[in-house]
Amino acid sequence: MQRSQLEEKALNQKNQISILGVETSCDETSAAVLIDGRELKSHIISSQIEIHQKYGGVVPEIASREHCLQIGKVIDQALEEAGLGFKDLSAIAVTYGPGLVGSLLVGVAGAKAMAYAAGIPLIAVNHLEGHVYANFLEHNDIEFPLLALLASGGHTNLILFKNHLDYEVLGRTRDDAAGEAFDKVARTLGLGYPGGPYIQKAAVTGNPQAYDFPRAMLEPGSLDFSFSGLKSSVLNTLNTACMKEEKFNMNDLAASFQMAVVDILVRKSLKALDQVSAKTFALAGGVAANSILKESLSLALEERKIRFLYPSPVFCTDNGAMVAMAGYYHFLAENKASWKLNAVPGLTL
Amino acid sequence: MKYLTIDTTTKITALSLGEEGKLVGEGFLHTGKTHSERLIPMLEQLMIAADWQLKDLGFIGVVNGPGSFTGIRIGIATAQGLSQVLKIPVIGIGSLDTLSWAGCGRKEDTVVILDARKNEWYSARYSWNDNRECLEPPRAVSPQYLTTELDKLEREFVFVGDAVPKAKEYLEKTLGRKAIIPLEYQYLPRGAYAACEAWEKWLTKDINTDNSKTVEPCYIRLSEAEVNLKKKNMEN
Repeated sequence: MQRSQLEEKALNQKNQISILGVETSCDETSAAVLIDGRELKSHIISSQIEIHQKYGGVVPEIASREHCLQIGKVIDQALEEAGLGFKDLSAIAVTYGPGLVGSLLVGVAGAKAMAYAAGIPLIAVNHLEGHVYANFLEHNDIEFPLLALLASGGHTNLILFKNHLDYEVLGRTRDDAAGEAFDKVARTLGLGYPGGPYIQKAAVTGNPQAYDFPRAMLEPGSLDFSFSGLKSSVLNTLNTACMKEEKFNMNDLAASFQMAVVDILVRKSLKALDQVSAKTFALAGGVAANSILKESLSLALEERKIRFLYPSPVFCTDNGAMVAMAGYYHFLAENKASWKLNAVPGLTL
Repeated sequence: MKYLTIDTTTKITALSLGEEGKLVGEGFLHTGKTHSERLIPMLEQLMIAADWQLKDLGFIGVVNGPGSFTGIRIGIATAQGLSQVLKIPVIGIGSLDTLSWAGCGRKEDTVVILDARKNEWYSARYSWNDNRECLEPPRAVSPQYLTTELDKLEREFVFVGDAVPKAKEYLEKTLGRKAIIPLEYQYLPRGAYAACEAWEKWLTKDINTDNSKTVEPCYIRLSEAEVNLKKKNMEN
């Protein structure tokens, strides 16, 4: 296996590199301590899901308020479990975007103050990069080029990593993100928030062929995604059924919708693999926790003899460990953030 | 005892360095940049210029609201972050109590008004006879309500706070000569006011029982979503 410059650098490090990763981009306050890019010493996630459930989705102001109350405790706990103090850290990595601006600002302000007071570098991490780096938390033998499918509540991207931190976006969603479609359909079906797990559960006993929902492939060769047509089609089917007072099977609807999303994601991924050569294919983001998606991709990639990786569910949600992992490579690359760092809610890859 | 104060509850970033009740350094920025961009660079420069080390600090005072929701959180997250690393206490001080120092020594009542958006002010009223007395505690109130209330009182009022520039004409119209508007540098939030408030609070607080590591934000208002949910629940 050919090693990259950063990997060489990692191997030649004499001193231990300890990174504290901080994540507050949406509704999870999380912190983790990662040693030498390999050993996850601690990982704390304080989830706000229950707080937001009664509103049917994340309320930005409430999320920000909760982050402000939790961030100090979560970081203290992460350090305590790791058995480290601030003086033992090499750097603090923090998500600075994309996400909810108020939420991001709590993490950025807290991490910045800590790094400044501890006299160590601050590392700014793009949340989307973080999701892909979640894969490196459980595997230290990943080969490039790596094609990543990042699918979450806010994003759907196909990204080709030629090497660490060296990547190109091949496709992105033109409207709704995959996870967003799950959330919206689940809300309409009255299944609850977040939508992904509820749809998946309802789909288990449903017939995925019961409804033929559209799979938007866009123009030939395009690796972009579109889910709004699919979402509208599901909602229309539901409305029509209600108007005509027809009975419909909720589980069939969920299964057919889920199948359509998975189909789109798999077809586009395979199309990307036709266009570029990749040794590894990695899933990332909340939707990576969907088991039908994992099964479908696993079968297709086995045929092509491409190594298929996906993070454990805990690393699919927003988490501090992935931020620490991406932060570790930025630290090696000496990408230090300035004290002027601001949150960038619309940050892209 | 050396201390630092942070106030980011309005559009102004205000810092101070104090020692035993004496103001040592002050930072004031009223530019277009965000708190996030200004705060630590300004603190770093102030520390260098004062030739102070962070490890010399005995405590941090942070203005915890009311004011801009985001501003309150940036101040608290920053103060707590510093205090966690330095292992020193952090104390929360109110934005209106802090600004009341702008009226210190005056015979009129000091009325603090901060921009609360939605055509409201965060407001409180104080008198400065010998000691400061809070006559009307912090609340969110409409300009009409406040001025009607004040107009009934037989006294004069000095208005301070970031809502003053926009309110000046209205206050003079509704309260006439009872409304006194000081100069801008006096009525805007300043590090010096926070330094006074933090030191006073530090002297009166029971340090033995309070090893404050966290500061509760003081928003006064619920979030919009909570208000709507409450309304909905009441209707049902």
